[in-house]
Amino acid sequence: MAGQLRSGLALLIALIIVGAALASAGSLQPHTVGPKDKCPVCGMFVAKFPGFAAEIRFGDGSSVHFDGAKDMFKYYLYLSRYAPGRKTADIGAVFVTDYYDLTKVNGLSAYYVMGSDVYGPMGRELIPFGSESKARDFRNDHRGTRIIRLRDVTPTLLNQLD
Amino acid sequence: MAHMIERHRHIIDFTLATLLRRKGKNGGLLLVYTLIIFVLASVLFFTEAIRREAMLVLQESPEIIVQRTQAGRYQTVPMSWCAGIGSINGVGSAQPRLWGYHYDRTRLANYTFMVPAQDPPGAGHVDLGGAVARMLGAATGDTVAFQGHDGAPRAFTVRKVLEQESQLLTADLVLISEQDYRLFSGVPADQATDLVLQVRNPREYATIVEKITRMHHDARPILRSEILRTYDAVFSWRSGLMLVIFSAATLAFLIFAWDKATGLSAEERAEIGILKAVGWDTSDILLLKFWEGTAISLTAFLAGTILAYLHVFHTSASLFAPVLKGWSTLYPSFRLPPLLDFQQVVTLFILTVVPYTITTIVPSWRAATIDPDAVMR
Repeated sequence: MAGQLRSGLALLIALIIVGAALASAGSLQPHTVGPKDKCPVCGMFVAKFPGFAAEIRFGDGSSVHFDGAKDMFKYYLYLSRYAPGRKTADIGAVFVTDYYDLTKVNGLSAYYVMGSDVYGPMGRELIPFGSESKARDFRNDHRGTRIIRLRDVTPTLLNQLD
Repeated sequence: MAHMIERHRHIIDFTLATLLRRKGKNGGLLLVYTLIIFVLASVLFFTEAIRREAMLVLQESPEIIVQRTQAGRYQTVPMSWCAGIGSINGVGSAQPRLWGYHYDRTRLANYTFMVPAQDPPGAGHVDLGGAVARMLGAATGDTVAFQGHDGAPRAFTVRKVLEQESQLLTADLVLISEQDYRLFSGVPADQATDLVLQVRNPREYATIVEKITRMHHDARPILRSEILRTYDAVFSWRSGLMLVIFSAATLAFLIFAWDKATGLSAEERAEIGILKAVGWDTSDILLLKFWEGTAISLTAFLAGTILAYLHVFHTSASLFAPVLKGWSTLYPSFRLPPLLDFQQVVTLFILTVVPYTITTIVPSWRAATIDPDAVMR
């Protein structure tokens, strides 16, 4: 009887662990933008501009949506201003919209083209791509100036875009 | 409350009696008014219905179609273009399509032959559109024959008859397998009618079109927005033409309304004077005139709209179909799905009933405020 109870308990714990693991893996999928979701940086409704939408997901599962990669970076760099009490370490995932496929790609490893003739809802934008070859093609087609990664984005660079 | 309803009831009663007393004039007015609304509503309903039909057709159409031209004429597209065009950044997929028209000499009808991308009929089988099946008198399981490009008749078994929401889309359609179509039409194995591209980001259309024309100088890419614009222009132009034809009737109505608005006949003025003399208030007379205008315009509006509805959706706009449907010869008969746009009816109401009612009240108000003695004299 006691053995049965113990094995039942073990099964329960195993289920909880597997469930939690699945849940955390599931949370790495981008959320769909709701009609009421506003960009915390500029206050615009994100759902109107699905082609540029970006998202920051925190470790606790909550997420914020942006109407462009530029505003996402502003939030990311000035986290203490926009989300007091949060730290960069709390960020679980960053998603940006690939310009060609309109699919969400990992914003931490994405390639961004600067200075192109494609304007987002907030004007000059960093246009995200999942692969470097796409970014290079885009830069040639749309007169972009350079391709940058997440680590290259600085407050000075963002100021140049405004 | 009950008193007020009684008052209105009596005034309406009196109004109708007044209208009946001048049968000829009011009957003529009603007739012209109904005709105007009938024409306006018919044109509105018809263009809206056919535009919706076209949108239904184009909803499913791909973002970009690539054709090839030679000396300005359409040519088949080499299948080898697919790989090159499909590799352009932003192009989700590039698929060849096989389709074409076929003129049936014995029945004097045009059919559209098409190889569907999904669920094509097997070899020796075809799916028929509603109008084609009717014309050939064929049902599922029957055998039909079409004369191929080489003059030899080819027999096919009917797999099914297509019945769909949009008749414009499927009425003249014959779905066939790729292998059969190539034999039937003579399109070589390495050629297709055109290519359809799926493009996710609308911002890239211009760039993709530019790249395609740079890749193949004889390519002619067509955007869905261009097709939509063309359809829109054609229908707007046709409905404009319709209105010009009936502008004489509109002008007659305007003169009628103007006549009403600028003054009352001596007879009507005398009537107002008598009513005032027997103790009617100015407000009562205005109410009387308001109900008079409402009775005429509402009757005309309802009759005109209902007639237009029957005309457009039950007789397929038989009166002006030749003008509005340029390609009517292509479709032996097709009926538009009846659907009323509430907003359109309201617009028509506001543009016809409201101005008329107002124009009848203003001169009455002027007559009703003068001394009855002066009016009657």
